[in-house]
Amino acid sequence: MYRGQSGMWLWVFHRLTGVGILAFLFLHVADTYLVGLGPEYYNELVFLYKLWVFRLAEWLLVGAVLYHAINGIRVVLMDFWESGVERHTQLVFGTLGLFLLLWLPAGIFMLKDVKWFA
Amino acid sequence: MQVTLKILRFDPEKDKKAHFKSYEIEADPLDRILDALNTVKWYKDGTLTFRRSCAHGVCGSDAMRINGRNRLACKELVGDIGKKITIEPMLGFRILKDLVVDMEPFFEKYRSIKPYLINYEDPPATERFQSAEDREIFDETTKCILCGACSGSCPPFWSNSEFIGPAAIVNAHRFIFDSRDQGSDERIAVLSQSEGVFRCRTVYNCTDACPREIPVTKAIEQIKRVMLYNR
Amino acid sequence: MAIQTPERPKTALKEPTKRSRWTRTGARPRPTNAFELYSWYFFRVSGILLLVFALTHLVVMHLINNVEVINYDFVRQRWASPLWRTFDLLLLFLALTHGMNGVRTLIYDYVQSKGWRVFNISVLYIVGIFFLLIGAQVIITFNPNLPSLPAK
Repeated sequence: MYRGQSGMWLWVFHRLTGVGILAFLFLHVADTYLVGLGPEYYNELVFLYKLWVFRLAEWLLVGAVLYHAINGIRVVLMDFWESGVERHTQLVFGTLGLFLLLWLPAGIFMLKDVKWFA
Repeated sequence: MQVTLKILRFDPEKDKKAHFKSYEIEADPLDRILDALNTVKWYKDGTLTFRRSCAHGVCGSDAMRINGRNRLACKELVGDIGKKITIEPMLGFRILKDLVVDMEPFFEKYRSIKPYLINYEDPPATERFQSAEDREIFDETTKCILCGACSGSCPPFWSNSEFIGPAAIVNAHRFIFDSRDQGSDERIAVLSQSEGVFRCRTVYNCTDACPREIPVTKAIEQIKRVMLYNR
Repeated sequence: MAIQTPERPKTALKEPTKRSRWTRTGARPRPTNAFELYSWYFFRVSGILLLVFALTHLVVMHLINNVEVINYDFVRQRWASPLWRTFDLLLLFLALTHGMNGVRTLIYDYVQSKGWRVFNISVLYIVGIFFLLIGAQVIITFNPNLPSLPAK
């Protein structure tokens, strides 16, 4: 095991969230395809997404997208801004800070009306 | 102070798998890890094998994983590391014996970027003039001692043994940004292969591991930008 | 009696037989291969565009609305507007290609054997193009007035 610094963990999660979002995307293209088949099929499936398990998964998905996007911005800054790489620590804190600042309130907003364990 | 050294041992003639072995020794906090290793080798277990040469941080022979991070054993102080020290060979290289790894593929990749001045004009009567500003541009990347700590800390280097590695890119940078050199195209051709510079995922472990404090990630990003803007 | 040096045991080390690509191809000049450069650049460009498209989609679908209100009628109203249809189509295209390129780098990182690499990349392209096609098909051809499948 290598005890890497923060940049290594940020990269690991960037990869994990990327693959996770792609897996979700396949599912999403498939379920949206049902729209072409008519309301009976589509509404039945979407009804499933109202279950509390899926609402929680929805929040995690929002987290994955937010993390991947914000870390992506950090990578672009390191790539195209000369002093980006010199400010590595600041960028790491900025990334994690912005991510939590957006994700946690989103969670409160999205999950406050969910009927848990219903 | 009493120090416990937990060292990953592997003897290709005897062992099937690498295994840890612990040694308790007495060490001064201002001793280097290399001194601790020597104590083990001279007084406890003569079979312990590791590379060392200058023992003061300029030859790059003794790069190894100390408590999980690539460092030079002759530069790290026992007092800074602590009472429990785990020593392993670097990741991403084939283990030859104990802490000695096969550096030959690493040197092959280094040679492939043509680490010598390429200039097709006739040499002038005096030196090829270079201003102080021009020298400053690539000054950091002249410092590489080819210890392998950067490449051994790089996750893409671990997973893909063909990745050219940060060290080769740094040494290519030293010549590409040298105003006296005319071989940038050839080096960039080498670096733009599928296992070249774009395998870098900006993980930043290399900059952290470099014992000469070369800003490796910055050098690699400069190369990527040069390749993009010259396309 | 002369001092006898013990016979050196046969070393268990084996020379790696596979010749590295760097010695094989180091000498002769090759044309500059820009594929990796363009792929790297594409990540950045599509990523920035996706910041706009994907985050808007997230906010509209999960914050302004949510799964409680999303059903067939919601989609029908949304896709009545050509703006949202184009938006969704572009989002699909950008997200899938960005993701596929990402998986391509994963394959390049973790699969070194030539045969398996070709196989995995082929599967990737087939799956990717398939999903791109069915996704695009439903967005482009959706027409609520056409008869759908018979009622269940």
